[in-house]
Amino acid sequence: MLPMPDLLSDTVVLSRIQFAVTAIFHMLWPVLTTGMAIYLVVIEGLWLKTRNLDYYHHARFWSKLYVLNFGIGVASGLPMAFQFGLNWAPFSEAVGNFFGTVLGFEGTMAFMLEASFLGIMLFGWDRVPPVIHWISTILVAFGANLSTFWILSANSWLQTPAGGIFVDGKFIVQDYFRAIANPFMVNSFLHMFFATLETSLFVIGGISAWFIINQRHAEFYTRSLKVVLAMAVVIAPLQIFVGHLSAEQVYHYQPAKLAAMEAQWETLPAGQPADWSLIALPNDRAETNIWEIKIPGALSYLLELKPTLDQPVQGLKSWDPQNRPHMVGLIYYSFRTMVAIGLFLAGLMAVSGVQWLRGRFSPAEIVKQKWLLRAWIFAAPLGYIAVETGWIVRCVGRQPWIVYGELRTADAVSRVPAGEVLFSLMGLTSMYTVFFIAALYFGSRIIRRGPNLALAAPRTFLEPTLVFDPARHEPDRRPAEAQQ
Amino acid sequence: MMEPLQPLQQFLPQVWFFILGLFLFLYVLLDGFDLGVGILSLTASTEERRSILMTSLGNVWDANETWLILMGGSLFGAFPLAYATILNALYLPAVIMVVGLIFRAVSFEFRENAENKLIWNILFGVGSFVAAIGQGFALGSVFEGIKVDEAGHFAGGIWDWLTWRSVIVALTLVQGYVLIGSTYLILKTTGELQKTYYKTATLATWTTLAGALFITISTPLLSAQARTQLFSAPLVYIFALIPILGLLFVGLLLRSLSRREEVTPLIYTFLIFCCSFIGLGFVIFPNIIPPSVTIYEAAASPSSLVFMLTFIGFLIPIVLSYNIYNYVVFRGKIIDEPEG
Repeated sequence: MLPMPDLLSDTVVLSRIQFAVTAIFHMLWPVLTTGMAIYLVVIEGLWLKTRNLDYYHHARFWSKLYVLNFGIGVASGLPMAFQFGLNWAPFSEAVGNFFGTVLGFEGTMAFMLEASFLGIMLFGWDRVPPVIHWISTILVAFGANLSTFWILSANSWLQTPAGGIFVDGKFIVQDYFRAIANPFMVNSFLHMFFATLETSLFVIGGISAWFIINQRHAEFYTRSLKVVLAMAVVIAPLQIFVGHLSAEQVYHYQPAKLAAMEAQWETLPAGQPADWSLIALPNDRAETNIWEIKIPGALSYLLELKPTLDQPVQGLKSWDPQNRPHMVGLIYYSFRTMVAIGLFLAGLMAVSGVQWLRGRFSPAEIVKQKWLLRAWIFAAPLGYIAVETGWIVRCVGRQPWIVYGELRTADAVSRVPAGEVLFSLMGLTSMYTVFFIAALYFGSRIIRRGPNLALAAPRTFLEPTLVFDPARHEPDRRPAEAQQ
Repeated sequence: MMEPLQPLQQFLPQVWFFILGLFLFLYVLLDGFDLGVGILSLTASTEERRSILMTSLGNVWDANETWLILMGGSLFGAFPLAYATILNALYLPAVIMVVGLIFRAVSFEFRENAENKLIWNILFGVGSFVAAIGQGFALGSVFEGIKVDEAGHFAGGIWDWLTWRSVIVALTLVQGYVLIGSTYLILKTTGELQKTYYKTATLATWTTLAGALFITISTPLLSAQARTQLFSAPLVYIFALIPILGLLFVGLLLRSLSRREEVTPLIYTFLIFCCSFIGLGFVIFPNIIPPSVTIYEAAASPSSLVFMLTFIGFLIPIVLSYNIYNYVVFRGKIIDEPEG
């Protein structure tokens, strides 16, 4: 670690902090919109199938939170896209052939789809037949998750570059499909896909639990809690499984990152059981853990499902300090936080599922399940923390490389004067702080106001025979929701 | 110069130059009226009027702003060198624009939920103005040219983009956005409010025209490269045609405004933007970083360009059609009544 004044005059460090701040803040919003879009598809489908207006009111209520998140997501995503050129110009030039192509795909195929059909999803209830509206919602969800796919493909490529060669520091693509389908891509995409869905489900579940525990529209919100639970039964265990596969891939492809995740300084030889560190106090400078609690033999089971290791687990010290990740404590604890949250959410899902089967989700019983409901409220923000810590493990653990094994982060930075980066970093940070507070304020306001149960079903739903004459001008009305 | 690939190596960057131009044009046109309406919302006198303005954008602003993201992504993929160099040269204008767009996006959503809507409205309007100014300065420095070294990397200073001419370009772009915003509002509003925008549109036509005339005349006067580029046959005929067409459309626009037509002002404004844009394209082509780096030098490898073209190329018509569908669904005037 450099002393503070040096840190503040180092363009590399500042550019990294700036990107980290931008990415961490940006991630908060699409995580909800991407996952919630799928939930909205389900809930609108239930409405069309059962014709129960409660589901329609759910769709209207949750989409208010959706659009709040979407707006901030777009706004906070812009500086990220621009930073590649502004602060990481050598990187953009070196890998633009592939990385830029994929970002272009994300914009054209995915984001445009989401942004265009969002208009119909939010304001088009009265203007298009219900089925078209549902298709629009599906396209929004599809677009959002296609974005996840492309972004994760691009990021996985940074982790496990494939499909071409670096010539004079420039990446030349030889096989696009191999580059897109790089070794990390499938698991990383699935892990993120489940992460957005799981985070959104527990946010929706937590808010529903808050309404139920306060006995406001308890029956109405039991409905959404049940839909959440039914989806979580599938998602939460799958996420643990995919997460495990991802960690195994790190073991094979990025041993230095695995060593940092486990704060393992010394190499663990093959043919012996390996201990798993439960809690430790890693010290970068002393290259050791000052203090540690281990579970004997657990790591060999986690990595290879065997009592002894087939392959050695390389320790951090087997790399020169300039070739391995630093901030081991951050990586180590981020990883553990993410795993703990994943397990907790799955456990909460299991307990709630059992209670449901025991009939405790009936209108009379559910309001009595105080502790369970409190656990759901507690779980609402946990998904976000898991997502952020997961990304910290992924990207801080990749250091000192920006493209693993090929391009160093320090060589990828634009030589912008440190003062300028510091200035934009401070600007971004203060802006993001304001937006964060405002978003929490307005988000909680939407929640406190609750659903508008007086809202009539769309006229296209009430009169399926309604024909739209393209020649007739339909006056556009201000959405009633905004008027309350 | 060797040879079988030669035509392809020329053709592909040209196609991508055209596609990027199309994306940028659609962005300027569509987000142009968004930004224009945003700037105009600063002058709207009542909450009722402001909410009509905001409603007119509600369903389209996300998609419109996405054209910028498409443009950025495609520039990154097709001309990585240009993406890096241009953003480095335009560091401050780009930051100004992004900050403006951010404020605009969040204020739009916060306003919906806020009790005190005025604060967010002002932020929305100021954000729109700042974003437009940032874009104007970026455009201005494209006219001025960007200093690069032999490798095509930015070699100028951080304030290079700020010249008296770029100030005029920036102000003209703001005028243009106000013009397109007010003609859009003529289409979407009725009554007294609509009358206001007939007046605004007429005024903005004259101010935009003044700025555009200045830019058109000063560019060949001040830039030797633009001179050689524009005054050599056969381009000179096309170049001569563009201002004539532009002036014709300005005349038609003014006539349609005085006749209180509703749809045609927007169409003529589109055509005026189109003329200016083709003119701009002629000044820049075949450079991507004016005045010295050509699209052939900055282009990604041919295989990249082909790969991107197969995926993005065939999507363009699809993207265009669902965007048009969006406008068809939300056609018609905005009235200030809650849903009944």
